[in-house]
Amino acid sequence: MRLKKFLLRYYPPGVILEYEQSGTMKSKSIDLLDLKPTTDVDMLLDDIVAKEPLITPSKMEQVRKLILRLQEKQAESVDHHFYLFKVLRAHILPLTNVAFNKSGTSFVTGSYDRTCKVWDTASGEELHVLEGHKNVVYAVAFNNPYGDKIATGSFDKTCKLWSAESGKCYHTYRGHTAEIVCLAFNPQSTVVATGSMDTTAKLWDVQKGAEISTLSGHSAEIISCSFNTTGDLLLTGSFDHTVSVWDTTTGRRVHTLIGHRGEISNAQFNFDSSFIVTGSMDKTCKMWDSRTGQCIGTLRGHDDEVLDVSFDFTGQYIATASADGTGRVYNALTHHCVSKLEGHEGEISKVTFSPQGTRCLTASSDKTARLWDPFSGKCIQVLEGHTDEIFSCAFNYEGNIIITGSKDNTCRLWR
Amino acid sequence: MGLLSLLRKLKSSNSKDLKILFLGLDNAGKTTILKTLASEDVQHITPTQGFNIKTVQSEGFKLTVWDIGGQRAIRPYWKNYFEQVECLVYVIDSADRKRIEETGLELEELLEEEKLCGVPVLVFANKQDLLGAQQASEDIRGIGPYTKLEGQELANSSLFSKNRRGYKGRYGMGSEECFKEMITVLLSPKLVLSIIHLTMHDHLACKLDSSHKSAVGKC
Repeated sequence: MRLKKFLLRYYPPGVILEYEQSGTMKSKSIDLLDLKPTTDVDMLLDDIVAKEPLITPSKMEQVRKLILRLQEKQAESVDHHFYLFKVLRAHILPLTNVAFNKSGTSFVTGSYDRTCKVWDTASGEELHVLEGHKNVVYAVAFNNPYGDKIATGSFDKTCKLWSAESGKCYHTYRGHTAEIVCLAFNPQSTVVATGSMDTTAKLWDVQKGAEISTLSGHSAEIISCSFNTTGDLLLTGSFDHTVSVWDTTTGRRVHTLIGHRGEISNAQFNFDSSFIVTGSMDKTCKMWDSRTGQCIGTLRGHDDEVLDVSFDFTGQYIATASADGTGRVYNALTHHCVSKLEGHEGEISKVTFSPQGTRCLTASSDKTARLWDPFSGKCIQVLEGHTDEIFSCAFNYEGNIIITGSKDNTCRLWR
Repeated sequence: MGLLSLLRKLKSSNSKDLKILFLGLDNAGKTTILKTLASEDVQHITPTQGFNIKTVQSEGFKLTVWDIGGQRAIRPYWKNYFEQVECLVYVIDSADRKRIEETGLELEELLEEEKLCGVPVLVFANKQDLLGAQQASEDIRGIGPYTKLEGQELANSSLFSKNRRGYKGRYGMGSEECFKEMITVLLSPKLVLSIIHLTMHDHLACKLDSSHKSAVGKC
């Protein structure tokens, strides 16, 4: 085994090692999920050297520099103050979902006007209009980290794959018998997963444009789907109150997570795929062991339906959004409530962490998006200006740009 | 409301949860009627850029009413909302004589939509109290040629017999009655087209003081 190259991963913090083994190039990552700006670097280095044979004493100085760089990165942009950068009169009907590419240089918006648009973040210019769907474009995604393709899922029952550069449609995936409402690329960008109101999920080949498998088993609409970090497992959340874990190579169901007493609103893996968090209309979130499929904890406290739930990038914290107008942050290990995000004057439909994990972003029917300190629960900023409720919000990978998509037909850029 | 609740409204869960679609030209008064049904303030209503959805409950029925903007640019998108519609409510501004032909043409197109085949249609002839409003019978005559409908005769016309049976006119109903009428239309297999004449006062009587009423009368 010969170490060839180091790659740095900022969020979640980690060092990727590219090495040669019997003639072929391989890579593995050293995940530094607990790294803080205050972490003792020497102790951490000793720890890494003890565990990782590729890191020989001669490489230690290089690794030290990388860790210091990661710590520098963590310390910056904590006090970033956002201002309204652009109002994009994006569509003639309400927006649905929005998504950034990894670098944040462009983003996509879906709309009730049946189109999807690609935007240049820096100038606010419209780069492409992705036309062809015959009904609402509901779900949109970039194939991050590559960012050269876009997938769109529509109420017209089809999913389309587009070139992000030219706006050309590569494939139209047909087969669902009802609205497509969620989709995701696997991290390798070889497979697109779609979830539909027809109660099935489907896996599609990005290259060939053909169906790989149909994941059937749910007895009601599927409204969320997400891959784990390695792409071998897929989660589907359903209105049938359950979440399924699927093996994406065989198309078989590995686990059914049963326990919620209401429709599922979202389900996610943590970074190392050890845990799954689920949010439900039954006002609770649940934590599950992804290996056994057993429920290991229930996060209570909300007075109304949980409409969204999200892990931070490292998987150490969970943020929830509820129809009761509040958000909550929980410790993923202890399941204790760390803070309450109170201040919105309407239900919160989306919540997400900044990639650094130092901020929570919420979108609400009170026409505002808000930034919070997840640890104190203090509201840091209110992003005001939309004239109707906000349906979607997202951070770019650097955590210094926010997009919000609203029922008022506009999209706003904050930086 | 959020996107998730949009999805929940999209699916038809139980038979007592009924989807009603409000269509009509811009400024017909769709949002005002919707808000009145939901007992909400109707004093500050602006043109609907997209849609409004409200769930109204009464007598064990849950009506999910979708009010879609009527401006010309967004009319082509009306067909996005045709799935699983239990009743179409078409709202006409009776005082807008210049556009009675336009509203008739739009209604005709709707009646020929395949997805709306067999869906009961309720026409709300709104703003009956305004100066220059068409009389009930004129409304029918006004939009009749475009919908191939004319009073009782229409009941037997080819378009009508294919998927719509029956006709009924009614005057001066309040929002309570509108609601009941929608239920009646939904429950009655025989009555499939109904016209109701509304006045602004029907919506506003319970909400406005006298000064505002006179302001309404002037416009």
